[in-house]
Amino acid sequence: MTYLESIFKVLVVGLLLGAGLPAIFAVGMVAYSKGAGGQNDDGTMQAPNPALKYLGILLFLFVAWVIVTAVAWITRATLIHHFGFDPFPFIKS
Amino acid sequence: MIILVLLIATALAFDFTNGFHDTGNAMATSIATGALKPKTAVLLAGVLNLVGAFLSVEVAVTVTTSVLKVQDSKTGHLIPSITPSTGLTIIFAGLIGGILWNLLTWLFGIPSSSSHALFGGLIGAGLAALGTAGVNWSGVTSKVIVPAVAAPVIACLVAACGTWLVYRITRSVMAKRREEGFRWGQIATASLVALSHGTNDAQKTMGVIALALITTGHLTGDVKKDGLPFWIIFSCALAIGLGTYIGGWRVIRTLGKGLVEIESPQGLAAEASSAAIILSSSAAGMALSTTHVATGSILGSGVGKPGAEVRWAVAGRMAVAWLVTLPAAALMGALAFWLSHGVESLTGSDLAGDGLIFVILCALSFYIWWRAQKQKVDSNNVNADWDSSTNSVVPADVREASKEAKPTAAV
Repeated sequence: MTYLESIFKVLVVGLLLGAGLPAIFAVGMVAYSKGAGGQNDDGTMQAPNPALKYLGILLFLFVAWVIVTAVAWITRATLIHHFGFDPFPFIKS
Repeated sequence: MIILVLLIATALAFDFTNGFHDTGNAMATSIATGALKPKTAVLLAGVLNLVGAFLSVEVAVTVTTSVLKVQDSKTGHLIPSITPSTGLTIIFAGLIGGILWNLLTWLFGIPSSSSHALFGGLIGAGLAALGTAGVNWSGVTSKVIVPAVAAPVIACLVAACGTWLVYRITRSVMAKRREEGFRWGQIATASLVALSHGTNDAQKTMGVIALALITTGHLTGDVKKDGLPFWIIFSCALAIGLGTYIGGWRVIRTLGKGLVEIESPQGLAAEASSAAIILSSSAAGMALSTTHVATGSILGSGVGKPGAEVRWAVAGRMAVAWLVTLPAAALMGALAFWLSHGVESLTGSDLAGDGLIFVILCALSFYIWWRAQKQKVDSNNVNADWDSSTNSVVPADVREASKEAKPTAAV
């Protein structure tokens, strides 16, 4: 039944992007926060760690890149139509 | 000609109601957590909806063929057994059914699907005009009913997973940083939802207007190939953008405060889930109702956070409203059609029939708007505490004030 197929596809993509991306964002936040240092909630101090901080930033950028790619994918037809620009020339439409 | 103008105005009015009904889908969580100020949020959503409406290049003449069997599947023209006058009245009545249901649910602050309202109205008008042969039942099942059941469930699942993951992963992060970081994330995800809403929903009205113009012969040629005239796209984009900016505060309030008391991480997970599902489903060709997805996501974010409060009474009331949407809008669409058709047969004038239902639409719309103003929910009290004793969208103090003003009980 094609309904089940579509539903399954939407569920999988939904889980990957809808739950996965926030999770990666959260990991980035943990890394950035540990990297930035400061005072924890329980009063203990945390030393700054630049490597972790940059890892956090990297993860944020990754999430942003996925989002931009997704939007470009959705609007691919529009971009081709109005600007003659195909963001995914290697994928046949 | 006048009928056509009235019809286009009504279609744009529907688009407008679609806008303010769905503002909350993107922005309710951000407004509730303070990630965005109410007025900023609706401005952002309005602009993004406008942009989104322009972004979609696919022609939406299929929106009416999904539920009705009044068009030739190749050209989009009306089938010969339907006169242009009847065709226009069907569309007109369908729109009226959709608008009235949208307004009613807005009054009570119930998030409901504008898509279903429109489909319901059209189905009702189609049934009234042609009987069961006028309705595309398989289309209704596959494009309306199945997605309606699947969407909230998928959304709830995805958001619950996302919320649970997010809380678990960041449990050691300083609370202040967590709030701040997730607020930024909320703005990003809410913007995505607003954008995708624009790409999806403005199409419905464009499709309806296109059908009307094809019917009267103003639109010729292959619409699928040539695309729609720019003024249709522009006016629909503007209507939905403006509607979004006006902001259906009553619906925003229910979504942001009534269902779940939301924190930033939940807001982010909910909107991310909504965005992912709306975008992936439209890419897969399965059009889901943005309202069903957004509401399911918000509920899921409540389920996913251990210890979160979910007001199942409010959710239940909403579920009932969803079940009732199609039949209710259908009933109104059918009534509108019968009324117009009846007057047309009596007087022999199309304008009298369609004009009458247009006037009735204006009167009823004004009445509903007027009722809403008596117990106003706007950007100032949208975040007021939820009144759990009545689960009414109107905050308790506004209710009290209006009771003092008038001895009789209001809405």
